[in-house]
Amino acid sequence: MASKEILRVSDLCVDLFTQRSVIRPVDGVSYSVAAGETLAIVGESGSGKTVLNFAPLGLMPTGVNVDLSGSILFNDTELVGIAEPALRKLRGGSIGTIFQDPMSALNPARTIGRQIAEVSELHMGLSSSQAESRALDLLKLVRMSDPDARLKQYPHELSGGLRQRVMIAIAVAAEPQLLIADEPTTALDVTVQAQIIALLKDLQKRLNMAIVLITHDMGVVAGIASRVAVMYAGRVAEYGPVGDVLVEPRHPYTMGLIDAIPRADDAPGSLFRGLPGAPPILGAPIPGCAFAPRCHAAIESCHITRPALVSTVQPLVSAACPIINKHNHGGAYVQH
Amino acid sequence: MSSTKSVLRVENLVTRFKSVERGKWVKAVDGVSIELRPGEIVGLVGESGCGKSTLGRSIVGLERPQSGRILLDDIDLSGLGGRKLRETRRAIQYVFQDPYASLNDRQTIGEAITEALVIIGIHDRTRQRRRVHELLDQVGLPDTVAERYPRELSGGQRQRVAIARSLAVEPRVLICDEPVSALDLSIRSQVMNLFLTLQKDLGVACLFIAHDLALVRQAASRVYVMYLGKIVEQGTSLDVYERPTHPYTRALLASIPSADPRIEATREVPALLGDIPSPTNPPSGCRFRTRCPSAVEACAVAEPPTVWVGPGHGAACIFAAQIRATEVVPQPEPQRLPQQLSA
Repeated sequence: MASKEILRVSDLCVDLFTQRSVIRPVDGVSYSVAAGETLAIVGESGSGKTVLNFAPLGLMPTGVNVDLSGSILFNDTELVGIAEPALRKLRGGSIGTIFQDPMSALNPARTIGRQIAEVSELHMGLSSSQAESRALDLLKLVRMSDPDARLKQYPHELSGGLRQRVMIAIAVAAEPQLLIADEPTTALDVTVQAQIIALLKDLQKRLNMAIVLITHDMGVVAGIASRVAVMYAGRVAEYGPVGDVLVEPRHPYTMGLIDAIPRADDAPGSLFRGLPGAPPILGAPIPGCAFAPRCHAAIESCHITRPALVSTVQPLVSAACPIINKHNHGGAYVQH
Repeated sequence: MSSTKSVLRVENLVTRFKSVERGKWVKAVDGVSIELRPGEIVGLVGESGCGKSTLGRSIVGLERPQSGRILLDDIDLSGLGGRKLRETRRAIQYVFQDPYASLNDRQTIGEAITEALVIIGIHDRTRQRRRVHELLDQVGLPDTVAERYPRELSGGQRQRVAIARSLAVEPRVLICDEPVSALDLSIRSQVMNLFLTLQKDLGVACLFIAHDLALVRQAASRVYVMYLGKIVEQGTSLDVYERPTHPYTRALLASIPSADPRIEATREVPALLGDIPSPTNPPSGCRFRTRCPSAVEACAVAEPPTVWVGPGHGAACIFAAQIRATEVVPQPEPQRLPQQLSA
């Protein structure tokens, strides 16, 4: 890829220590994102996709101790083990974040204008009047209708779609190089979702941002991402360009996920396709392939040895499944 | 409209709420008529705030409608009261979106289902236990689940329990409000298939309220599309999805993202701009006109009546016949594009 790499995550493990238990929601994950590019991280609940992105930023619920290992290079700065003050400068500055539920992420007692202005004051050193006029520009940038009036409104006065636009305005206020968006459209209607996706794409072009988009919706992935990492039980099952992974999935889990999406030629009243069983409950790391109990292609060794994420015959795509690589592609699979 | 007698008929239902603005009312459901035939899955789709949940809640009596009629097997529920109403309405059960919230976390699953059995007069312990196991089996859960607490179950299992409990009173109609939207994709199909099987095996009619249009298309034989408290289009799934006639339905369908990046690459402007207007002050005439690419002056004057463009296929739009004939949505003004960015 020609453009500059912004983020490189290598072999990241996240262990969470709560009062009762130790779990490993992220288990040896690697990926990278370049400027102006969108990487989608897809997975079901409990797959570790949110923890993967927010634990390194220090964004975890209180009462949970986080232990990180591996490496996260953000523009040559190592985020694993970074001190809190340095991290605080990055959060909201060169790394912007958007959450699924804008209502709980916004302060209900402060105006929209103030909440947006705050970011420019903090990260760009603007005076409060400068920051407020910048807030107005930002509302225009995220295509808010009637931006002047919106500045003085409170979050509860806005619809879900408008609130999400406010979140985006806050996230891009300091012109971040990396935007982490956690299910930004999940709580929205399809019509509004299409608007938000269009907005994110447009902002990305203008600011040359790298975006890491966390989602479970393959439609969103297809609409915005250039590459995708499919996660299952804390590990990457398949990783590669969207055009390859979504069109010709290789890992049985990805195949099952994509196959489960209702298609326009499914007859009304016909049964839904899907995967049997349920994802594993988070606990100790699983020795073999976490998907093996639900997999139609699994053999004995799948339950014992953890499959490595290796290149497939399509060199840009890697999949953590030796069986499928062998069967479909004549045994051609290469260790990284 | 059809020879089969309907099990549930809603006529001209209006449900309104007091607005935060003094003296104003929000008509969340504004003159809606729908019907369900025995053993039929009917979809009810629309954006959030369109009143689809309020309609469902009004049918089971969780909201009190201001006017209109709800008929169950031709018995008008509004004419009943007290015990008679409760007993009659038992035939309509509700499945909520969030099974975490609809189950008591201090009760075992067996106790939760038994409670429903007691209501219909099954007091014998052995009969209760047998029926609990039958019901669990019907929703694809093992007997052992009866001893478990809700927190010990996964989201999909909890939703199955909620369905088992609603089936305990042998309902004729299930109102399912977003029953799978809290579930993961790989679990969703399993629960959807359960609905399809129950409908076939037990003949329960099902009103399926959802915002996931692709899901409804496959599950439902007929669909109602709702916008700001009104039904704007209705018909068989095939009619509504293959030959959408109301401009709103067309925009909704065009907004469904495809999982195929080759199709997504051709997507240009979002099909529908702006948000659904506030129901406190709905636009005059056609409520969709403020977002409609085809709106003309006449749309602001009078509320468009439902135009029947095929058997059972209707759309509340003055252009309905024209759209159906030409497959083109008229665009009197140049299509509004998103405003240019100033930043």
